[in-house]
Formats: sequence, C-alpha cells, structure tokens
Amino acid sequence: MNLKKYFIRALHRLQKGPGYTYKELLVWYCDNTNTHGPKRIIKEGPKKKFIWFFLTLLFASLVFWQWGILINTYLSYNVTSSLSIGFKTMKFPAVTVCNANPFKYSEVKHLLKELDRLIEAALERILQPTPGNSSEKISPPLDLELWHQIPLVLIDEHDKDNPIILDIFESNQTAGGNQTAGGNETSCSHQGSDNCTYRNFTSAAQAVTEWYILQSTSILSKVPLQERIRMGYQAEDMILACLYGAEPCNYKNFTQIYHPDHGNCYIFNWGMDEEALNSSNPGAEFGLKLILDISQQDYIPYLSSAAGARLMLHQQKSFPFLKDQGIYAMAGTETSIGVLVDELERMGYPYSDCTMNGSDVPVKNLYSQYNTSYSIQACLRSCFQNDMVEICGCGHYMFPLPEGRNHCNNEDNPGWAYCYSSLRSSIGHRQICIDSCKETCNDTQYKMTISMADWPSEASEDWIFHILSYERDMSTNVTLDRNGIIKLNIYFQEYNYRTVSESAATTIVWLLSSLGGQFGFWMGGSVLCLIEFGEIIIDSLWITIINVISWCKGLKQKRAQARYPDAPPTVAELVEAHTNLGFQHEDTGALPGDEVLPPEPGTPPPNYDSLRVQPLDVLGPDSDTE
Amino acid sequence: AATAPGKKITARIKRTLPVRGPQAPTLSELMRWYCLNTNTHGCRRIVVSRGRLRRLLWILLTLGAVGLILWQCAELLLNYYSASVSVTVQFQKLPFPAVTICNINPYKYSSMKDYLSELDKETKKALETFYGFSEGKSKVRRSVDEWNSTGNDFFEQIPLLKFEDFSRTATDLRSGQKRKIEGSVFHKDSSIVNSGDSNDIIGFQLCDANNSSECALYTFSSGVNAIQEWYKLHYMNIMAQIPLETKEKLSYSADDLLLTCFFDGLSCDKRHFTRFHHPLHGNCYTFNSGENGTILSTSTGGSEYGLQVVLYIDEADYNPFLVTSTGAKIIVHDQNEYPFIEDIGTEIETAAATSIGMHFTRSRKLSKPYSDCTETGDDIPVENLYNKSYSLQICLHSCFQKAMVDSCGCAQYAQPLPAGAEYCNYKKNPNWMYCYYRLHEKFVKEQLGCQQICKDACSFKEWALTTSIAQWPSTVSEDWMLRVLSWDKGQKINKKLNKTDLANLMVFYKDLNERFISENPANTLVILLSNFGGQLGLWMSCSVVCVIEIVEVFFIDSLSIVMRRQWQKAKKWWNDRKRDRSGKPPQAGDLERQGHDNPICLDEDLPTFNTALRLPLPQDNPLPRTPPPNYSTLRLETAFTEQLPDTLEVGQH
Repeated sequence: MNLKKYFIRALHRLQKGPGYTYKELLVWYCDNTNTHGPKRIIKEGPKKKFIWFFLTLLFASLVFWQWGILINTYLSYNVTSSLSIGFKTMKFPAVTVCNANPFKYSEVKHLLKELDRLIEAALERILQPTPGNSSEKISPPLDLELWHQIPLVLIDEHDKDNPIILDIFESNQTAGGNQTAGGNETSCSHQGSDNCTYRNFTSAAQAVTEWYILQSTSILSKVPLQERIRMGYQAEDMILACLYGAEPCNYKNFTQIYHPDHGNCYIFNWGMDEEALNSSNPGAEFGLKLILDISQQDYIPYLSSAAGARLMLHQQKSFPFLKDQGIYAMAGTETSIGVLVDELERMGYPYSDCTMNGSDVPVKNLYSQYNTSYSIQACLRSCFQNDMVEICGCGHYMFPLPEGRNHCNNEDNPGWAYCYSSLRSSIGHRQICIDSCKETCNDTQYKMTISMADWPSEASEDWIFHILSYERDMSTNVTLDRNGIIKLNIYFQEYNYRTVSESAATTIVWLLSSLGGQFGFWMGGSVLCLIEFGEIIIDSLWITIINVISWCKGLKQKRAQARYPDAPPTVAELVEAHTNLGFQHEDTGALPGDEVLPPEPGTPPPNYDSLRVQPLDVLGPDSDTE
Repeated sequence: AATAPGKKITARIKRTLPVRGPQAPTLSELMRWYCLNTNTHGCRRIVVSRGRLRRLLWILLTLGAVGLILWQCAELLLNYYSASVSVTVQFQKLPFPAVTICNINPYKYSSMKDYLSELDKETKKALETFYGFSEGKSKVRRSVDEWNSTGNDFFEQIPLLKFEDFSRTATDLRSGQKRKIEGSVFHKDSSIVNSGDSNDIIGFQLCDANNSSECALYTFSSGVNAIQEWYKLHYMNIMAQIPLETKEKLSYSADDLLLTCFFDGLSCDKRHFTRFHHPLHGNCYTFNSGENGTILSTSTGGSEYGLQVVLYIDEADYNPFLVTSTGAKIIVHDQNEYPFIEDIGTEIETAAATSIGMHFTRSRKLSKPYSDCTETGDDIPVENLYNKSYSLQICLHSCFQKAMVDSCGCAQYAQPLPAGAEYCNYKKNPNWMYCYYRLHEKFVKEQLGCQQICKDACSFKEWALTTSIAQWPSTVSEDWMLRVLSWDKGQKINKKLNKTDLANLMVFYKDLNERFISENPANTLVILLSNFGGQLGLWMSCSVVCVIEIVEVFFIDSLSIVMRRQWQKAKKWWNDRKRDRSGKPPQAGDLERQGHDNPICLDEDLPTFNTALRLPLPQDNPLPRTPPPNYSTLRLETAFTEQLPDTLEVGQH
C-alpha cells in the first residue's frame, strides 16, 4: 500500500515539475544546516558573505585534506609498543644439553680408523716435510681412496701467478721454508673432471679440521640412525644428577633427540608429552641444577677441538639450533645462568610481515618431522636442504631429509662436496632463502647472565667424584675427573620477563574520533551534517530529474508547436497567464505603504504552481516539501 | 517561474535578518545578538533563560565549559612533544660489525726494555724496601744493575711513600728516611668507599712544581693498586716521549697476534684486519673496519658463519707491572665508532674457546624538541678529537683533553692530540702530573662541566653479547692442534706453542633478527587539531568558525562599536566647541543635551513628518543613538519565527 502511495506521489511530483530551485535548496540548506560556516554565508552582508564563502570553502577543503591524512595514517597500520617488566609464574624454558663431541671415540673408532691414519700421516708429512721418517715404516699401506676424492694440498703462493700445488702424498718434494700459505683443500666435481675448486685456508689447522669434518660426515652418513644414536652419549652416562627446584629429577626426565652436530642431545622440559613445568620463584634454589659428565677422554681428536657441554634454552616444542643460539659450559666449572625471558609479541598481518605459525611460508618445513613449531632457523635450514636436494641430488647430513631422499655420501654422490661447498658459498641462494622465510610474530629470547666458578673445589673434589662415580658405575673406583664434569644452574632472575607487546596505534575508534574531531574543529560538523548534505544532494538530483523531464516535455511541446506554429493558446495557458498576472501584483506591490499592513499569516507561502495545476491535491505537495 | 520562489526566499531572509553584528548599537545589544545567533551552545541559553538564578547558572556553566576547553587544550599543547616507542623486528642480511682485538699487554716487554729498565729497577726497589720482595733470578734485575742511574731526578720528585696515616710522616723509598708530609691528603681508594683504618698506607705525593707548598698526597690502602698506579704514571710519562712509528714497531704485528682467521666459512688473513694504535693497548687489529669501502655482511647466523680467530698471546713477553692479567681484549662496534677498548672491552681468556653470540639492536631517539640528544654532534661546542662519528664517550674524552691542554699546557697520553698540542712529559711539563690529577678529580666530580655539555647521540647501534667459554683445545686434540698451529706460525718461532699462549675466539650472530627501537612522535598536527576539535565539540559544540565569530564579535565589532561611540562623542565635543566659539550660549546646549540626548534631535533641521514618525520615544531607549528600527523586519519576524516574545522586546519598543 505504502509503496503504491509512494509511487503515486513520485509520479505526481514528476508531473508537477520542480517545486523549488537549486538556489532555493541551497539557501534553505545554508540556513538550516548544523554545520557552522554556511549559515554565515547567507546571513552576512555582501563583503562578509564573500569572506565567509571563502572561509567555508577553505575549512571544508582543510577538513577533507586532514581526513585524507588521517585515513592514510589508519591504513598504514602503525603499532604502538608497550613494555612490561616484572616477575610472574612462567613456563621454565626447555633446556637442551649436548656434548660438544657427537660420538664416543671408542664406539666410532672402527669406522674412522682409516681416516685417522690418513690424517695422521698427512700431518706427519706437513709437519716434517723431510722424507724417510719413521711413520712410513710402521703404518700399513694407506687407503688412498678417500684421499683421492678430496685431497689436501699445499699451495705455495709466493709466485702469485703460478702457484705451486703440492699434493701431500703424491709428491714427496720438500716444501722448504717457502711455505706461507697453509693447507688447502680441493674438491672436484664428478668423475675427476677439470671442474675443480680449491678451498683455500691460511691455516693448516683449519684446513685439516674442515677436511676431516667433510670426510667423517660422508662416512657417518652411511651409518643408520639407530646405530648413530647408540654410538653417542647415553643419557644415564651423561646426566649424573638433576634437581628441579626442590624436586629430584633424573635422566628419564629428559627427551632424547638426535642432533646432527652434537649427536645425542637431551632436552629437559620440552613439553612434548607432558605439561611444561612452571617456575614461580626466582633464584638458583628454584631452578634447574644439573651435573653432567662429558668424558673428554672419549672425544674424537680431529673432529671437535673445543671441549665442553653445549646447552641452549629455548621455548617448548621448538627445535634447538645449537650452532646458532647455544652456549658452551666449560668442564671443571660451575656455570650459573640467570634467565630473563625477553618476549616480543607482534601483531600479524597487516601490521607487520610476520607469520604466526609458518603456514603461510612457501618453504616446506623439514623440521616438522620432529613435531616442532616453526622458527626462522628451521625455515632457513629447510630452504637450504630443499635446494641442496634439488641441485646436488642428495641431502646434507646436518639437516633433516625431505621424504624419500638420502644423505650425501662419497660413494653414491661422488661430487657432493663440491656441490655443497658451491651452494653454501652462494650468496644468491642464501638471499632467496632469507627473502622467502618470515620471522615469527612471537619472538622469545632468553637473555642469559652467565657466571662461572671452579667446581668442584679442591677440598670437596674427592668425595664428589667418588659419589658420582659410585652412583653411575656402581664401583668404588673414581671414573670421573675435572676435565669431564660440569655443574649447571639455570634459574629465573628476579625480574623474569620483559615483554614488548604491540597494539594497533590506530583503531577504527581512533579514526572515527579523529575524523569527528577534525570536522568539529573546523566546521562544527558531525555525521548528521554529512547526512544533511547527502539529503541535499538527493534533493538536487530530484530537481535535476524533474527539470530534465520537464525540459524533455518542453522539447516535445516545442516540436508540437513547430508543427502548428500558430496554434491557439490552450485553456491552461490562458489560465496561467491570468493567474500569473494576479500574482505579479503581490510581488511588485511591495510599496512602503505596505509596512503598515497587519502581519502576514503564520503559514509558509503556498506553492501556487501546484495549487494551480491540481487544486485538489493540496495535501500532497505539502508533505513532499518537508 | 523558477527564479521567483528563490528570490522570494532571499527577500524573506533579508527581511528576517535581525540587527547585524557591527550594526548593533551598543555592546549589550551586540552580545545579545551574538548569543542568539552563535553556533556555540550555552551562550544562547544565557539569553533565553528566564529567571536570574537560571541565567546565572547558565553563565557559570558556559564559563566553566570555556575554562575546561582552555585547560584541556593547554594540556594537549603541553603534551604535544611526546614520543611513542615502536619496536620492529626485521629479518635480513645483517652487516657484520667491526671487531677490534687487542692484546692486553700493549708492547712486547723484551723490546721495551730500553725504555723501561730504569722504571722497573725503581719499582723493584720499592717492592723490596716496602714488602721485602726480591725476585732473585730475574733477568730484569740483572739488566737493571748494569744500568747507571741517570736522570733519576724525575723519580726523586715523585717517589713512592709509605707512611702512617695519622702521624703524617712517611718513609721515603730512596732514602729510607722519614719525612713530614705537607699538603692535603687524597685517599685515592677511599674517596668513594670508606676503606676503614689500615695502618700501612702506601701512596705518592704530587706537588705543584711552581709552588712547592701545594702538594697532593695520593694514598692507597693496598700496595698492589699503589704500585700499579705509580708505575702507570711513570710509564705514560716515558711513552709520551716515544714517537708513534716507534711505538707501532714495539707493539705486536698482525702476524704476531693472529694465528688463524676464518669468516663466513672462508679463510681470511691479516689483510682483512686494519691496524689501529691505541695508546694504552698498543697495536689493536680491527676486523671489517670498512676502511677499504666494503663492509662484510652475514646472511646466515650461527657460529660457523661468524668470525673465528685463534690469537697468539705471548705470555712470556708481558710487562709484569703494567698488566697483571693475561689474554686479549675485544670490542664489537660499528665501523664509524671509535673502539673505547679500555672502557668497554670484553676480556678473552687463554687456553679457551670464547664464543660470543651477538644480537643486534638499533635504537633511535627523536632529537629536539622531544629529547635532548644530538644527531651528529655538530651542535656540541666540544671539538671531536677522534676521527670517528660522535658518541658521548668521545665528547667526554675530548672535553677532558681540551681542559687538560687549557689548564696544564699539554695533552694526556691516553687520548688523541688536539691540534697544536703535544703529549705531556716530565721534561717539558714538570707540573703535569699534579695538574692532571687535580683536573681528573674535578672531572669526576663534574666540576669541569663536560657532563653538562655533552649529550648522548640520538641513534646508536648495540650488539648485545652472550659470552660463553669452552675448554680449548680439548685434551685429546691438544697435541695435534698445537703442533699444526706451531707449524702455521711458521719458522719464526722454533718452540712449540703452549696452550696458555693461545686464545680461540668466535664472534657470530645468534640470529639475523635486527631489532629496531625507534621513537615516533605521538602527536602530529592533524591529531592535535582533531583533539582540539573533540574538546571544543564536547564542551560547547564549537569550531574554528565559532572562534572566528568570537574574534569578530568580541574584538572587531566591539571595538568598532566603542570606536564609533568615541568618534561620535568626539564629533559632538567638537561640535560643541565649535558652537562655543561661535558664541552660542553654552547653557542652552547643555539643557538641550540633558533633555534630549538623541543626536538626531541635535540636527539643525526641524523634524519633518517622516522623521518625527520614525523617532522612537526617547525615554524608552536605554541608549538613544539607535538607527530607526526596521519595521518591516519586525513584522515578518513576529509572523514567522518562533522566537520567544522576550527576545523581541527590543524591537517592539
């Protein structure tokens, strides 16, 4: 019903023609709007009117300009950071402890026997270049197969253009005193082609170490994982004592994980199977106390020259990247580590380009097989390994494998060392990985305050070693010594957290209040004013539509008139002329004498046009004009 | 037909317009007009309200709102220069910092023998006299005996003294005689912490050379400190006389210090290091100093990809009195920064692998007017003596050095030379030690004003270090490691290296996350204006337009009204005077004015019918010089507007 009524009214309006003009509309708007400027335009004298018109325009443009700035600010998604420092009950960090040496030498000796003999002989040659010394007599013929794949050479670079390259075993020429450049390592690509590179080292110590690592990696990668775990340090041998707060713990509380760099590592409080432990008190008394044995006598001599335990604090369910974040603990000392958890909580997209759980990173996370959460280190390593598998055809021993692939070894992939070292030193590949990996939004670091003291003291040494040896080996012989024993205290500091958390600097509420503030400041306007303005625009559109229709009508009529140029005036026209004349009188009759007239009635002047055309429809236009 | 209604409305509006601002005859009229027509809320209520109490209430409320607005806006303005902190983390390829490595011992003791033998002899003598210590088979001792003591006057001037605290007598080192102490006593140790009373106090006396009664006595509670301080004083004196080239030769060369070097998986050598001579630490070597224009960067974190060096610390060649600890000192700093190794260096132990994990943080403060920091240091009135970018340390050191040159006439040895100055030595500036100690004391007590002049830098880079130590080489690898390293060292040294002569150092990025802490302006002009707008709108629904209105009404219009009245008064006065001069009886004018104060009445013309009709009744008008009311306006107003009748009172009268 209403709709029908509405349509009828609209039709009537269309027939009637414009009830008022643009100017009328504008003046009405200016007079009645709540915005502050326009009213002054019409209420002031001509000069001021101009000034006010100008001012209003200026203010309006200022408002729009500032709104633009505000909206831009909002869309730039700034954040504000808030910092909080204090102590609260927190999850105790996961603690990974490893031995710096990956395997017990006594267990892997049979695998590395050939290699060790080779390197010993090589060292002999390097250190005592004069031929005919005793070592050759004793040693059985060396297995030079390993050697030929990646030989160590000496490069004499005294003559820059023609460096003399001496293979340590093949040429027995004495290098004499000219040797300045130290050991060097070559690696060739497939099948001994010319595609060789020399990796130069200025120090023989480094060259030997790198060479040994490369060779032993290749040998050990052939050993199945179960065997490798067996060759490493066992939890019961390594973790001698454990105390968490006042509660005793033992090696069974540690989760074993095989780490390619460090062999068997043990993680306390990893939170994989059971709930993570909380610590609600600061101080060493309430932290983790460990006694470790690294049995330094059983180190592989050429593999790792630094002795100690490697440990790392990390979040629950994250993979420990010991090479990056790990610290050493020295044997024969007590190392106290005070922990402050430094957290950075960021807002994700669109505020910053970080990832919440790594699902939106285009790199396949190989560390997910450990059930660990995403981290940037995991992403970078996965990225490298994926590249390596793609380019070299096999995966590097240090990183987990994609499905169905194998680790590189010298037999199956003779050129892998060359491929690996060229990939490793390629800056471009690294950059691609850096670009494709994203950091996590919640960045947690454990700030450590490390202090050390000698332990055990000379006075207590004897009984401590005795007890620990007894507990481990059930014998009264002392099997431990200063060189293998490490005490660790890990605890929360008095202030155990420092959290920087982000919050949006510009919320929608902020935006609205700022927009309102600007509009209010310059023009005293509000949303309602905008609606008023919108209304005016709709009204003026109406006027335009009606005008266009009437113009079209007029055009039609003109054409009709053109056909009958001297058509007689219609009755309506005559009536119009008559009525117009009648009203002309009112307009012109503003004589001074009129001032004495009694006041006009309190109704707005009737819309005479509409009255004239459809005298019966008085009520319609009234409601329309409202 | 289209324009007719528009015209009509314009005409109507014109007619309905009330008395306009400046046309208002009086100030109160103007105020009333303003209050009725202003866009601000509150003001209208004052006029519209009936009853005195209500009106008063509204006046109070309006004034209160104005007060609140002013207060809040003032608060906003005062808090305009506040900063908010943002922390961003960027994962990227990071520039590797410069790493400066020094041996703790500055110069090889064996080559310094020529210069220091006399001082050593003196020191040994002091040790023997005061503590009964004798180093039987020391070669230093033997060489000292061979030397004839020449130029001993210097040591005589500043001898070590041992004395009883309260008796103020001291035992001289040379003569062994007791002598009276004059001058003020400075307890070097106990100036900050009260060391309690110990009977044997050792120290030395510094006297003003020009005025020997001015003496300062420096005492130490422990002989270890006293002897080291005393030794250092003389040592600096000697070193100041040796030219830089000689000193560089006396110190360690890059080959001496660096055994192996490895960076980012590649071998490096001494060419990657830049020599940097530090006055107190001898030759230091800076890795990645950026001197050749390239700064190395790391694109992988972890210990393998950082800097790994093995240092050769020749422990046997240490100066026994100058340094008492063994090892190296390193400092991680930016390429543009000066390494203040004596202030903030990290010590490296021998026979150990020191692994230093770095975490990079960049901070940036806003400079003036947000905080009192300096961007480049150009606005600090202290000349930067170091050839590096500004830092607070540099400023303080430069400031002290300048004060030293100004008041002592020579420069302190540990800091660089200002133009035209030279280092202090006893021959040329016999007074410098006394002067230096006095000045240093002033400096520490902030009396030199350096701490006030120097500001901190606005942006700085910080590498947070996590240091941990492992045993190196391990017992099983020790043998071959030392052999190979000895071979590396070459044929220069025939002896096998000892592990206490070696230090292994690893410096690496723990992760490639760069934390950037920056201050941002919390307020911009846009936000300030929005806040103003919010305040104005909240309390009074006001805007800039209202402010302009207020300015217009309260200043321009009121002023114009006042001026007009003054002008009319003046005109009247002038007319009166003219009339007086023309000989008119003054009394008549006075009477006329008393009776009819209306200027229109003063017109010379007789009132016509029209004017008479227009004239308002004089007694009803509070202020008589109003223009005639616009009756037609009045008429329409009563017809169309819903104004309360009392607002029209004026017009209807």
